[in-house]
Amino acid sequence: MFLRMLKFSWRSIWRNARRTVITGLAVGFGLASLLFTEALMQGMTVHMIGATTNPWMGDVQIHRRGFLDTRQLGLTVERPDAVLELLSQDTTIAAYTPRVLSPASLSSARELKPVTLTGVDMSTDPDVTLLESAVETGSYFTGDSMEMVLGYRLASDLKVELGDVLVVTAARTDSGLASSMFLLSGICNFGNEQLDRYSAFVNIGSARDLLQLGDAFHEIAIVLPDAHMAGDTSLALWDRYTDRENIAEGWTELAPQISSMLDLVNVSMVIMSAILFGLVIFGIVNSLFMSVYERMFELGIMKAVGTRPGTIGYMVIMEAFWLGVISTATGLAIGLLIIWITSGTGISFGEIEFSGITLSRPIFPELSPGRAWAYPVFTLLLTTLAGIFPGIHAARQNPAESMRRSL
Amino acid sequence: MNEDVIVTEGVEKTYEDSGVPVPAVRGIDYRLARGEFTAIIGPSGSGKTTFLNLIAGLDTPTSGKVWLSGRCISDMSGRDLSDFRRDNIGFIFQAYNLLPVLTVEENVEYIMLLQGVPKPERHERVMDILEKVGLAGYRDRRPLRLSGGQQQRVAVARAMVSNPSLVIADEPTANLDSQTSGELLDMMRRLNEETGMTFLFSTHDEIVMERARKVVVLRDGRIDGNADPEDFQ
Ligand SMILES: Nc1ncnc2c1ncn2[C@@H]1O[C@H](COP(=O)(O)OP(=O)(O)OP(=O)(O)O)[C@@H](O)[C@H]1O
Ligand SMILES: [Mg+2]
Repeated sequence: MFLRMLKFSWRSIWRNARRTVITGLAVGFGLASLLFTEALMQGMTVHMIGATTNPWMGDVQIHRRGFLDTRQLGLTVERPDAVLELLSQDTTIAAYTPRVLSPASLSSARELKPVTLTGVDMSTDPDVTLLESAVETGSYFTGDSMEMVLGYRLASDLKVELGDVLVVTAARTDSGLASSMFLLSGICNFGNEQLDRYSAFVNIGSARDLLQLGDAFHEIAIVLPDAHMAGDTSLALWDRYTDRENIAEGWTELAPQISSMLDLVNVSMVIMSAILFGLVIFGIVNSLFMSVYERMFELGIMKAVGTRPGTIGYMVIMEAFWLGVISTATGLAIGLLIIWITSGTGISFGEIEFSGITLSRPIFPELSPGRAWAYPVFTLLLTTLAGIFPGIHAARQNPAESMRRSL
Repeated sequence: MNEDVIVTEGVEKTYEDSGVPVPAVRGIDYRLARGEFTAIIGPSGSGKTTFLNLIAGLDTPTSGKVWLSGRCISDMSGRDLSDFRRDNIGFIFQAYNLLPVLTVEENVEYIMLLQGVPKPERHERVMDILEKVGLAGYRDRRPLRLSGGQQQRVAVARAMVSNPSLVIADEPTANLDSQTSGELLDMMRRLNEETGMTFLFSTHDEIVMERARKVVVLRDGRIDGNADPEDFQ
């Protein structure tokens, strides 16, 4: 009987094939646009996270507690050798690099600018950051103690060119002032205001000498096999590198504006889904009410000859289910096709600057089933549930009434 | 066996039309014996459809009671009444009796499907009744590809296939030409005689009246005596 009814309701929805096709396409396009938007958002998320972590930040950073807030020169990572030893044996991370960071002033022959003097470990930095590939003019570090790499904006603010002399002046831990001379050896472009305008990169050894830091460092940037892991609070990593003195933090904490932006994206997806699903329900309810009204006489006959009201209701719900199946299949087909096409070429939005990060590369939509499954499942579920209202209505009609009125 | 299939006592039905009461049936006491083949006639608006609906349990009387095969259906409701109709009454309406998405065979089979009759028996009974109404060759057709007369014959088959105690037909020939009407009624009468099944139908049509065994006249919602079928011949 159940299968008979399924077959019967399948035939019923094709009586008005045009309406079924239109409903299926409308709901299908709704689902397709949700899937595509989801894929775009996922692609953008990957892109945003990449743009946040890849150039410089890394996925995780270790600092002495309080360093990020105060930038005090003395707040170097505790037990640096032990931490580096642990990192060198840690198989859950992909790469790491230590850094020295200090506020300093940088003067050329004509200008003076405040910068963050950044000591880079040239043996490990290329595995963690994009500094090496960001160098557009001149070259990356070779090991010479006088080398300095500047962002192109800072270089132009200071009106310097390759080979020009620059003098760094910084406070030492003992409160004395120290200065040192460097030669501009490379100009880089990260597409990031902070890095391109306010950072002066030198070899870590030169920075330590200038600041009299010995083997100490302020920061370790770590790359994980997958950036999403940084949001996973259950990883052993956090405990391993966090203690009374030191603290390990992921990019979600280091760049809270990005992670709250991504939260916002998720919220807007939920709102957009809610609106579209509302429209879907409305469309299905409307279509089924029309078909119920058209068939009043027939439903009257079915009831007269002994079809129970509940059975009539179920039949309408089954029709809703079939509309849902058609719509979901259509939506999946269209949505996945669009995603498949655009994921190859990417979608370019021109240059968008967001939170100081320039998104210039195209965004590649990608759909991970982890969350995307919900869209087709909800479409099918909600379209089927949308059959309840017209189903109840059809079940309630008095057979004599419905036959009299439709003649 | 001269037991009554239908007994009505003081059955009244008053509709309401935008606040104005419309009395359609005004107190009918009626008995119909088993095996009868009776026509209800009367002018348009005299209450024929309303009365048949009350007897068939498609509508509930404003007052009075209806017994069908000894059971009072006037206070049955919803699902019970639905099941009662399924098992006890065959219906033939004036037109569009059949479900267009089902084939002839499926239409005839439909009630037995609701009753849960096993497939082999269903099949046998469908073939048997289609044979009797002369449509055995049409079992896979959709109703829209049958003539009006053929559709009504399928309706007759559907009404009779599960051996109900009563077959009710509201103007079964209203959409048919006179020759087809005559043939349909001849067939119904023949089946009535062969099976002993009780038929009660309403009509405007003299061709139908003259084939009835008894004729009841309704006027203004009341029984206005019996007519003699011979009168119409
Ligand atoms: N649902 C309803 N609401 C209001 N009035 C109704 C309703 N159904 C029937 N009537 C009225 O009740 C009266 C009897 O109607 P009914 O349909 O029973 O007559 P009938 O004898 O079958 O007529 P016809 O020969 O035209 O089919 C008519 O006056 C009709 O207008
Ligand atoms: Mg009538």
